[in-house]
Amino acid sequence: MQADGHPIDTSQLLKGVLDLAVLAVLADHDSYGYDVLRRLRDSGLDGIGDASVYGTLRRLYQAGALKSYVVASDEGPHRKYYGLNDRGRKALDQSTETWESFTKALDHLLNGRSTANA
Amino acid sequence: MPDSSQANDVASYAAAVRSALAHLPAAEREILLEDLENHLAEVASESELSLRERLGRPEDYAVELRAAYGAASEAAGARPRMPFGNRVTALLRALTGDMPYRALRALLPELAPGWWVLRAYLAVLFLAFVLRDGTNLTPIPNPFSSGGVLQILATLIAIGISVRLGRRAMPVSRGWRGAVVAGNVAIGILALPVLASMGTGSNIAYSYDYSTDPYVAAASAGYYPGVTNIYPYSRDGRPLTDVLLYDQEGRPLVPEKTDLVIDVPNGTDGLPIPNAYPLNERQANGDPVVAPRVALPPLQTSTPTPTPPTPSR
Repeated sequence: MQADGHPIDTSQLLKGVLDLAVLAVLADHDSYGYDVLRRLRDSGLDGIGDASVYGTLRRLYQAGALKSYVVASDEGPHRKYYGLNDRGRKALDQSTETWESFTKALDHLLNGRSTANA
Repeated sequence: MPDSSQANDVASYAAAVRSALAHLPAAEREILLEDLENHLAEVASESELSLRERLGRPEDYAVELRAAYGAASEAAGARPRMPFGNRVTALLRALTGDMPYRALRALLPELAPGWWVLRAYLAVLFLAFVLRDGTNLTPIPNPFSSGGVLQILATLIAIGISVRLGRRAMPVSRGWRGAVVAGNVAIGILALPVLASMGTGSNIAYSYDYSTDPYVAAASAGYYPGVTNIYPYSRDGRPLTDVLLYDQEGRPLVPEKTDLVIDVPNGTDGLPIPNAYPLNERQANGDPVVAPRVALPPLQTSTPTPTPPTPSR
């Protein structure tokens, strides 16, 4: 994707791992759309758009990885909370494994390059 | 931001996102957008800023939403799709990325109110067409006839309903929305024969008085009441002058008294001849009365083949 030599576009990276990030946030505790976005940004992923998070939540929910329930609120609108179900937890575990082996491989590559240069 | 204007902000932003995603398959759009208003309301309640300021243009939001929803679903295999569906989606994306198409799409919301009015008009027109058996239908009903007043009123009411439907000011459920779409298509199709039956209007004026051949109608109308002059023509179409007409009693045929001034010729005996047609008439102010243009009926060419007179001995 970045074969033309431009620096890595963070938003492109995020697209691939947004599922994992959202699952990870929800594994911590159940949350509603805007709160998920805020927590992602708080943890440093500030290139994420609201639409991406909302779209991802809808898709994961549709795929059966999330449970969902509405919580009435005294001030403000009713909030739709999302949380992991068994399938979601399994997906998170698998994705985490994939991610770790992926980063390990990439770390290895990058470290190998830096040691070779040194 | 006050609550009501915030609600408006959410509603209009959501509507713009929906219309930007209008090309998606209905099922997918429904799942994707089911919760949109609620979510936007959550976002809106977090800040005083408008949604546009915080989230950018609704069109861009829609694109991002679509990408986040669609792109990864293929990768994750969560929702395996038919290759054909993939191709269609790809085609749609290519089309919607096309500039003229986007420009047209952006224009559609502005044209929508015009369609709301037009469909109401067409719907009532079709109704009138059915109820009146298609006769005497004009683009704008005659406001001085009871049917016309009714039709105009019905049109106004229909426009009101149509516009409310269009703006979704009425509570419209999902099933209803399908019905509205079907209604739009039906109106478009049904209106065609009605519009075709309207014709150009010129024959409407004629059909009123002369249901048949004008000559027949004129002849059966009789020439007495309202007749102020008579213009005789010979069989081969030449206008005749000084034709003396008499009725069945042998009395001179005299026209009704009118404002017209008649120059009555005198006979050699000095007496006036009131029945020499066409009468030499003038308007009361002295202007001449112009002879009418007449269309002569085609006659059978029973032209008298002059039989040579038998030579008498």
